[in-house]
Amino acid sequence: MKHPYVIAEELCADIAEMKQGSSDTHPRAHTAARETAVADPKSNTDANATIGRRDSKQPSNLNDSTDTSSVIGRRDSKQPSNLNDNTDTSSTIGRRDFLKYFSAGVALASGSCVRRPAEFAIPYVKQPIDQVPGVATYYATTCGGCSAGCGMMVKTREGRPVKVEGNRAQSVSNGALCSLGQASLQGLYHPERRKQPLIRRNGKLTAVSWEDVYLHLSAVLAKTGDATGKRVGILTSGATGHRHEFLREVLARLGASEDRLYSYESNTLPTQVATAHQRAFGRYVIPRADFSKANTVVGIGSDFLDQGVAKVYYAKQFAESRSLDSYTEFVQFEAAMSLTGASADKRVVIAPNSEIHVALMLADTLSKHPQVRGSADELQMIRLMLQRVRRQVEVSPETHGEINLLVQKLLDKPSLVLCGGSGNADSNSEALQTVAIAINIMLGAYGNVLNLERSWHVPAVQGDDLQRLRQTIDELDVLFIIDSDPFFTLPPAWRFADKVKGKTIVSMNSFPTLTDDYATHVLPVHHFLESWGDEQPLAGEWSLRQPVVRPITDSRQSEDALLWILATMQKPLPYADYRSFLQQRWRKLQQQAQDKGKFAAFMHANQERGVFINKVQGKYGALRSLDVRINDVAKGLKLSSPLDNRLLDGRGAHLPVLQEVGDSLTTIAWDSWVALSPATAKRLGLRRNDVLRVQGAGGAIEAALYPMPGLHDETVLIPQGNGYPDAGVSGGEAGGRAVVSKVSAGIGVNPLAVYSDVAGRLPVTSGEAVRITRTGKTHQLVVMQKESKLGNRGDIVKRMPMAQAVKHSGETKNLDKVPDLYPQLETAEYRWGMSIDLQKCIGCSACMVACAQENNVPQVGRNQVALGREMHWLRLDRYFHGELENPAVTIQPMLCQHCNHAPCEAVCPVYATTHDAEGINAMTYNRCVGTRYCANACPYKVRRFNWWTHKWNVIDDQDHNRNPRALNPDVTVRTRGVMEKCNFCYQRLRDGKHKAQQEQRSLRDNEVMTACQETCPTDAITFGNLHDKQSEVAKQRQDYRAYLALGGYPELGEYGLKTLPNVSYLAKTLLHAPADEHAHGNDHDEGNSDGHG
Amino acid sequence: MWKQYLVVLGLFCSEGLYAWWLWTPGDSVDNVGYSPAQPLPFDHKIHAEHKIPCEYCHSGARRSTVAGIPAQNTCMGCHKFVATDKDAIKFLAKRFKENKPIKWVKVHDLPDYVRFSHQVHVAANIACQDCHGKVEDMSVAVQVAPLQMGWCVDCHREKQADIACLTCHY
Repeated sequence: MKHPYVIAEELCADIAEMKQGSSDTHPRAHTAARETAVADPKSNTDANATIGRRDSKQPSNLNDSTDTSSVIGRRDSKQPSNLNDNTDTSSTIGRRDFLKYFSAGVALASGSCVRRPAEFAIPYVKQPIDQVPGVATYYATTCGGCSAGCGMMVKTREGRPVKVEGNRAQSVSNGALCSLGQASLQGLYHPERRKQPLIRRNGKLTAVSWEDVYLHLSAVLAKTGDATGKRVGILTSGATGHRHEFLREVLARLGASEDRLYSYESNTLPTQVATAHQRAFGRYVIPRADFSKANTVVGIGSDFLDQGVAKVYYAKQFAESRSLDSYTEFVQFEAAMSLTGASADKRVVIAPNSEIHVALMLADTLSKHPQVRGSADELQMIRLMLQRVRRQVEVSPETHGEINLLVQKLLDKPSLVLCGGSGNADSNSEALQTVAIAINIMLGAYGNVLNLERSWHVPAVQGDDLQRLRQTIDELDVLFIIDSDPFFTLPPAWRFADKVKGKTIVSMNSFPTLTDDYATHVLPVHHFLESWGDEQPLAGEWSLRQPVVRPITDSRQSEDALLWILATMQKPLPYADYRSFLQQRWRKLQQQAQDKGKFAAFMHANQERGVFINKVQGKYGALRSLDVRINDVAKGLKLSSPLDNRLLDGRGAHLPVLQEVGDSLTTIAWDSWVALSPATAKRLGLRRNDVLRVQGAGGAIEAALYPMPGLHDETVLIPQGNGYPDAGVSGGEAGGRAVVSKVSAGIGVNPLAVYSDVAGRLPVTSGEAVRITRTGKTHQLVVMQKESKLGNRGDIVKRMPMAQAVKHSGETKNLDKVPDLYPQLETAEYRWGMSIDLQKCIGCSACMVACAQENNVPQVGRNQVALGREMHWLRLDRYFHGELENPAVTIQPMLCQHCNHAPCEAVCPVYATTHDAEGINAMTYNRCVGTRYCANACPYKVRRFNWWTHKWNVIDDQDHNRNPRALNPDVTVRTRGVMEKCNFCYQRLRDGKHKAQQEQRSLRDNEVMTACQETCPTDAITFGNLHDKQSEVAKQRQDYRAYLALGGYPELGEYGLKTLPNVSYLAKTLLHAPADEHAHGNDHDEGNSDGHG
Repeated sequence: MWKQYLVVLGLFCSEGLYAWWLWTPGDSVDNVGYSPAQPLPFDHKIHAEHKIPCEYCHSGARRSTVAGIPAQNTCMGCHKFVATDKDAIKFLAKRFKENKPIKWVKVHDLPDYVRFSHQVHVAANIACQDCHGKVEDMSVAVQVAPLQMGWCVDCHREKQADIACLTCHY
């Protein structure tokens, strides 16, 4: 007989086991996680106890046993092993048969009749004072998705981040995030993150310990170098905070020159703008545009809503500047269709890579105008510049006409011109920025619409860093590549791989990259949510980055790893870790701000707010010089490869949620495509899905065709972002296997392979002359929206002339006044409703990602999406209006409309979907038997059926397990055979109501926000109580522009389907309404023209 | 031949019943009477006799969805000094010193698709005993209420609380 506490010890044993190794490396822990995932998705919710201890001030100091989710709720299906002892052989059948039947019976019995298995609860050993299991804690940090540096607020539960939002206190984010930022939790919990460091031995990467890495690298570093210093360099991403300063210190301590720090960002626009300002004014700045002060904004190939300098910030600015009473007109000249162009009031299609010509023509026309602003000196310089290039300028007569129309408008009222984007980053893009400066001087934009004081703090990427790297790479023996993947994001024509042959390449990334394939050392470093750091996105506005979770894998902060290498070399820097380095720098910031308080209190306040705003002094000197040279661009078809607005340069490609959200304009998911104008496709005799060979001077790629309206006939558009090699394809020189994610492997193409330009200081991603040939193959692109035209259903998307909207802006209407045989639905204290402003929506798809993250919406993979089985609760519908050459675009977020007379509710045979007393169309998963009648009945097609029990990121049949830690514990995870759909983030409503109940009050307006609403950069979505007449949503529902989708034309006495949705839309207003636009905003000009070639 | 099938059928049925009897705790399928073996013989009765209020240890009840099993530091607050000679307390102290948690078996466990918040129920002055029974008299924690939907809805009806599906299922 065992002592009871020996048994107790055994009962607790597997916890102890998990404590020993890192939970993720422990094979048993892994299995446990799988069990939890499959069998018990909600286990996290009841995590009334965890063993992860955390300290609010040092979130990284978590207890070393984090994998609580794998422990909690683990099932012990007591398999009886001794049952066979009870065998009774007295029957007429043989012993073997008996055993067979008996075991079959046992299997059946245990499958059907066994009681619910035991679940466990594991309390903290030492519970931190500020942690209550089941109550969320929020941490402020800074997004590291791109170089923009948005503030982030991370919701954590029991030490696990479960949702990220924007930080309202920080002006870049202003409470919103983009799709990539929203998806960052998938990056954090990604099952393919490296578990340990690797060193290449005999051509193969072998797992080693961190101590081995430090020893090995310090030995390598000790050997390298000569009299001129260590031959060591660091290539890293742009950073606006103190990181580069630190890396320079590291280089200096190593004995290498400090200018061996090279930085590189795929988004070259900020560098181009800053370089142009450096040349013109002697200051390396990016002025910050204030749209609300401008009357007209002109974009020439601009991409400020796609990527630009800081898309979340500009999206908010853009939307705010376009209210009916003070409307900023936006005119865009572009060759390819971008989200920025799709949101323009007027979009002028120009020849690809003729942005410089258009800008020069505009500058020239302005300079001849008597009302032109700018000092005499400045104008003199501008005229001189124009004189030198005037003869080269070629602009089509139509574009010239548009420019002439614009000029008077631009000079009458404050205006602004924004030029350039990743889709036209060609050999003229630096010149384009210089011309933009000239134009903005002539418009008087500087100091008014363009703010130089609190300007964008440039990601410290210097324009010539890559050039320097190419020149000095032979002087390097060791190259640290931190947070950067040059082997994928630099055009292969740069021959980066050849140049680093034989060198020691240390790849330090938080996720496997192609660089790892060429690296001699692969060091897994922290995801930004596990790291310390800071950014200064706007001059003087410091945004702090702090860890919000204990490291998920055995990774290190990259800076700390460098410190350890230095320490192993007996050359330590005077910092215990990177955090203490940051503290030292922030102490200086405190001194600068003349804050005499205690540093701890200062730091604590900043950690809580996430941002510290310092005084700035911004002056820009006189215009020094303007010099422009135009390089010729090729004739004929030219390739343009903008950064994908979700995947960017490929850093989002391994996040299934981003792949599945799809491109907003083409609605293509899980792929790359070649976009040609329908006319060009027709001319070449090509159809959608034809695989084309796109041959440029740099190489050739093959991808399927998508005829895209609104493209110039000479534009060939292939976005960046995808094109990681298929798993198993040999990549590196040593023949190591390709180390990309299973998510992105073999999906799409990387268009950079086509580019041949190596002369520029920055990589060129546009303007390569290409030849298109048909391969004869076809490839099914997964286009999620089959129909691009509204046809005769003008009551889906309504548009109306601006003049009409302004004229009636004071009028109210009652959308609920619909003559109906059925009684009106009575609702209680609340009636939840949503209003979506189509005027504001720019199609950035952040809402879709936020919805998926909040509501545990699974990703189903390419093949399932192709079958129409995507699970988006919220989708973006895109409609083209007008002619194919240059259509108007409307993007409509479509989600459950929460109809008061819902067709789905009437057909459910088991009352799984019912109407709740507050107007919500409720879906009770455990009642659902999966008849799918409701999905058939729903006219909005927003109901989603679980054809499978989807794993976290199963890509078709590949084995990627759902990581239970990545799930929102407040939302039930649905299994196979269950219907699901939007429920207005009911978990948030319930939390809010409980809080209000505690304080004995009603919910306030905007106290509860849905996930899509909260992250929307343009505030297009409003949610609230329709019974509260003062609420924003109730006001919007009464607006003259309000309408119900498929609600007919009430003004004509026609009420459509009479589903009476609680979601209403605000019609898009058209500044330049086509002549045939009907008074009630109906679109009857569609229908007859075919969408695609 | 049919005899053989009958025997097989009989075996199947008897095994089913046997399995039912074997793995169903208590007397019924609703888990009433469920009182699993715990790693520590924690006695609610003794603690209640010492007039320790429920929420002293289950402090999440008024603040969170879950009432929470107290952390070991809560236990050790008293048991550093109280009853330190008992085997159970020695075990507790040992694990506390080793920074190892205790893995309790949940007695009250709702299905995965049910959302329940202690906070609102405590705020609505529902006594702990209304659902958990007279825990103060229990030496071994045992489930007394079926915790099934009908039981929940009965009370919600009686107290005129919300009985819409979304109240608990989302």
